[in-house]
Amino acid sequence: MNDTWFQILGALPPLLVALSVIGLFVTLCIARHERLVYAMTVGGLNLALVATIALIPLGPVAVTPLYIVDFYTLFFWGVILVATLACAAFAMPYLSGFNDRREEFYILLATSALGAMSLVAARHFGSLFVGLEALSIPLYGMVAYTFRTRASLEAGFKYMILSGVASAFLLFGMALLYGATGSLAFTNLIPAGGYDADAGPWMLMGIGMMLVALTFKLSLVPFHVWTPDVYEGAPAPVATFLATVSKTAVFALLLRLFVSAPITDNAWLLTLVGVLALASMLIGNLLALRQDNLKRLLGYSSIAHLGYLLTTLVAGASLSIEAVAVYLATYVGTSLGAFGVVSLVSSPFAGKDAAHIDHFRGLYYKRPVLAVSMAIMMLSLAGIPLTMGFIGKFYILSVTMASGLWWLTGGVIVGSGIALFYYLRVMAILFMDRPAHAREPQLSGTGDNWAQTVVWLLAAATILMGIYPAPLIDLAAVAGITLGS
Amino acid sequence: MSLLVFTLIFPLLGAITLSLFPRMSYGAARTIGTASVGLAAFTTALVAIFWSAAGGFPFIQTLWQWIDAGDFQVNFSLYLDGLSLTMLGVITGVGFLIHLFAAWYMVHDLEGKPGMARFFAYMNLFIVAMLLLVLGDNLLLLYLGWEGVGLCSYLLIGYYYETPANAWAAFKAFIITRIGDVFLAIGLFLLYVVFGTLNIQAILHAAPSVLAQGGTLANVAALMVLLGACGKSAQLPLQTWLADAMAGPTPVSALIHAATMVTAGVYLIARTYGLFLMAPAVHELVGIIGVVTLVIAGFAALAQTDIKRAIAYSTMSQIGYMFLALGVGAWQAAIFHLMIHAFFKSLLFLTAGSVIIACHHEQNIFKMGGLRKKLPFDYAMFVIGGAALSALPLVTAGFYSKDAIIWEAVANGHGFLWAFALFGALITSIYTFRLIFVVFHGEAKTEAHAGQGLAHHLPLAVLAVLSTFIGAMIALPLDDVLPHDMAEASHWVELFFEILAALVALAGVAIAAVLFLGSRKTVDTVVESHQGQRAWQLFHGGLGFDTLYDRVFVRPFRATARAHEKRDWIETIVNIVPALTRGANTGLAAGQSGRVRAYAMIMFAGAAVLLALLMFG
Amino acid sequence: MEPAVQHTVVIWPLILFLVAALGLVTVMLGLSYVLGGRHDNRLGNQPYESGIKPTGSARTKFSAKFYLVAIIFVLFDLEIVFIFSWAISARDLGWVGYEAFLTFLFDLTLGFAYAWKIGALDWSPRAPRQLRLDAIESNQQRNLPSEQTS
Repeated sequence: MNDTWFQILGALPPLLVALSVIGLFVTLCIARHERLVYAMTVGGLNLALVATIALIPLGPVAVTPLYIVDFYTLFFWGVILVATLACAAFAMPYLSGFNDRREEFYILLATSALGAMSLVAARHFGSLFVGLEALSIPLYGMVAYTFRTRASLEAGFKYMILSGVASAFLLFGMALLYGATGSLAFTNLIPAGGYDADAGPWMLMGIGMMLVALTFKLSLVPFHVWTPDVYEGAPAPVATFLATVSKTAVFALLLRLFVSAPITDNAWLLTLVGVLALASMLIGNLLALRQDNLKRLLGYSSIAHLGYLLTTLVAGASLSIEAVAVYLATYVGTSLGAFGVVSLVSSPFAGKDAAHIDHFRGLYYKRPVLAVSMAIMMLSLAGIPLTMGFIGKFYILSVTMASGLWWLTGGVIVGSGIALFYYLRVMAILFMDRPAHAREPQLSGTGDNWAQTVVWLLAAATILMGIYPAPLIDLAAVAGITLGS
Repeated sequence: MSLLVFTLIFPLLGAITLSLFPRMSYGAARTIGTASVGLAAFTTALVAIFWSAAGGFPFIQTLWQWIDAGDFQVNFSLYLDGLSLTMLGVITGVGFLIHLFAAWYMVHDLEGKPGMARFFAYMNLFIVAMLLLVLGDNLLLLYLGWEGVGLCSYLLIGYYYETPANAWAAFKAFIITRIGDVFLAIGLFLLYVVFGTLNIQAILHAAPSVLAQGGTLANVAALMVLLGACGKSAQLPLQTWLADAMAGPTPVSALIHAATMVTAGVYLIARTYGLFLMAPAVHELVGIIGVVTLVIAGFAALAQTDIKRAIAYSTMSQIGYMFLALGVGAWQAAIFHLMIHAFFKSLLFLTAGSVIIACHHEQNIFKMGGLRKKLPFDYAMFVIGGAALSALPLVTAGFYSKDAIIWEAVANGHGFLWAFALFGALITSIYTFRLIFVVFHGEAKTEAHAGQGLAHHLPLAVLAVLSTFIGAMIALPLDDVLPHDMAEASHWVELFFEILAALVALAGVAIAAVLFLGSRKTVDTVVESHQGQRAWQLFHGGLGFDTLYDRVFVRPFRATARAHEKRDWIETIVNIVPALTRGANTGLAAGQSGRVRAYAMIMFAGAAVLLALLMFG
Repeated sequence: MEPAVQHTVVIWPLILFLVAALGLVTVMLGLSYVLGGRHDNRLGNQPYESGIKPTGSARTKFSAKFYLVAIIFVLFDLEIVFIFSWAISARDLGWVGYEAFLTFLFDLTLGFAYAWKIGALDWSPRAPRQLRLDAIESNQQRNLPSEQTS
């Protein structure tokens, strides 16, 4: 087998997704058939997932100088594909009442997932930028997909404008770094004085600007302001995608950048990253405190969770990468479940999404399984033992403590303390008596049962991983070793 | 053998199913709830057969690694040896019978009401937690079960939460046992720091080499474990919650507050006996606590008018005997009495429940009377259970288990404790037969309708058989787990003391007959006198511990709180936290204006500050 | 290599540039403010339209189609940039580059076909063909029962 074929084999999962996108275009040029489009999307994603799993024994493959497919890449490809599949499952019933073209949504979804996959495997500024834009641009369309509701359109515009600003920062930063080092590959970003020298001001400026752009995508303080508005306005399945796939891909990239680029090995830079992390977890949780809109609440809570995650970047402990892999996987699983319930209770054509907390009051008495799933997700987000959220939080704490970063440990603890209040509040409301005027949760439409099954599976997985986390930890450990070496 | 985990899985599945479908019919809930525990009991029987066929060696079933963080490793492992098998048998066996009875009992309360699957869900969850407690091979897993049973106990005591008094009883039970739990948790931390592991067998193995005999560390660790055990087993000084816990449905009282959960403390001490051997002073204290509790609870039981409270006090008293046995080093006798007690005490509770239903939820014994004719089956059951409780010689199981404890006390040279234990035995038979005579003899004061059905008769009958000498013939495989009981005295001396104990029990019956059979003139005159009145009040209130705690802890606390009511600087300090949080929330939320230009400004400002710091910091 | 020398940032030209740029703007605006005459009458405030009186608002509505077609034009126009950059190094890239570029062109054509299919290229404000067909179909369905009854 020659080198080209080997590389194509390594890049098989994203290629499969790309093929399914092209196939979707061809299909749409010929005929519109929602079921067929859905089946093609899901089929392509599933094939890619199978290919990802099949690639595990292959070992690291360098696909052109732009991409590297190692176990770390495969782990996050898996996470991204599973999350995208869940989003597709939620989108099906959500869009069933949408009286306009529904099929394009799946094209945007698959394209965005393709961008995310490219981002995770990137080891070069070129692939980084292409991946990030391929992830973001379809997202603008997805956020504004139900453009007849004002909130959706508004959110789409906000996200597009601010995202454009962030992209400008990213390009400028990359240009500065290229100017300073003459290279675009991560591993070549060496300070002019050699590995141990301090990075010069241009390099610091460059990496700083990249940091601004990437933390914008991760909605970390102070670049978080767009998050609640966009989450609230976006259709629920899209908010799910934003909170899971987009965050995972960008964080995985940021981690790879910090691990492989020597210029990031700068104490002051890391301290500032730590400050961002601290600010994010405190401010995110504080903002969520008295929030009555569940989608906004989850948006704020995602700010805090990414803040927790960012501490691992500062710690640079041997356990860091494993911790990130575990935390992201648990966070994605839990967020999918929580947003999934919101998505199932909402429909865009009865006004805005039913995200206000009153819609969830007494959900237990109408839809007990759904409510219990939601309660489990809330517990997991709060990091209560016996859920997988606890495992993630445990990792974060042990990483920060092992590195002696007590101020960040304190921040995680204080943040989690504040967070308990609003998570448990949501949980309590699920089991309260239902007021007479409450809107009935509407759960009709095609694909509904399948979407519900996904939520149940996620809830079961949350508990199962909480008491039996060993498989996840093993996978994460291998991912950590491949990137760390 | 690997079936072991299924004893957990069946009730767990039951609990999950029941909580996921809260609107199922009563019949379905009853079937699922009972069958899951029945399957667990069946599995236990299989496990017991395979285990003994394989030679009865300790068996560890590691399900998965629970926590692996650096040096701190905890496996989710089940540990099966003679001791945990005994507990397993009691929990699933007696648990199944009680579930069966509950299916009959709760019909009257639950049929057709919303949320009745909740009862069986809690009960099944309790079984899971209790099994986890006894099967856990490390202290963390044990603690998980420990808290789990505490939670289920809280939920079930407060099952009829619409009545505020029941909710308060649940609070009380939860808070007081929680005090013990805190001590236990401290003990676990201490043990982890000292031994570097939480594995029970490893700790027991290392204890003689790591801890100094009678050293401070050993004493403190053992004391913490003991206080934890006291909270859960309702022993002095944390005993006050048990009588109030009778607010729960009667099957709950039988399962949790007689047969299983309250004996968890006994199990814990027996399980960690190596620790107590290294701390002789605390070991001594175990026996003293037991003996004081058993006498106090006996007196309190004498002066109860509520049938369930009387039995509850008797439970405290009997657990006192188990603590006494642990304290004098009669480890095996303690566990044996634990099992026998589970049989006859759940029999008594279930019969009491049957009587209560028969008398239309009447619990006052002085309003019953003469039920012997109307409820002959219940009468027979209660007499068998009562006889076992009083340890009437030869025919009852209690005779073999309790008198063994009394004998061990004296044989191990604790004459003082022996005297108290013997006195306690006298009181035991007095209050037991007082109950029997008052409830079933004398003139009839109320209507009564005997319970019907297999679910009613079968559990009572099985437990009754086990409460006789037949139950005492069960040989427990404890020899490899716990030290042999040390008593080494001549056969004749033992016989003498056993006859003495038997005579004391019979004397108690006689005294009760004199006092309570017939017109009860003597009792009435004594109680109506001024002194008698005060003694009655004292005993009736459980010898004033509630009052004492009220005076020592609750009132000073309230007084302090009230003194600061107007200008409370402590509360001001405390209120700073929420005020700050809320203020920060308001301030930050104001930044979320929804305007893109404001957002862009914030972003640019943030980027400028970040880059400036990065460049010039 | 002497890193110390390399890293000294010469800041003064930057500052000079900043001052010069700001100064130029200030001077231009300031001078015209000071020197320029000011008239504040109705005719003076009217925009100069070569002697023709201005009518109507400057903010006329354009059809949204205009923007759509414009953006599609920009998109496909920009892709030509890629063709140029490929053409320059076509020999160096060889057949692999050729295959890759064919793929790119295929995707591009596919996008064009899609845009055509959904009616994005229709200039007139008519409804796209498919929607028109749908409308006709639904009208027929609505009319069917009435025809039968009449």
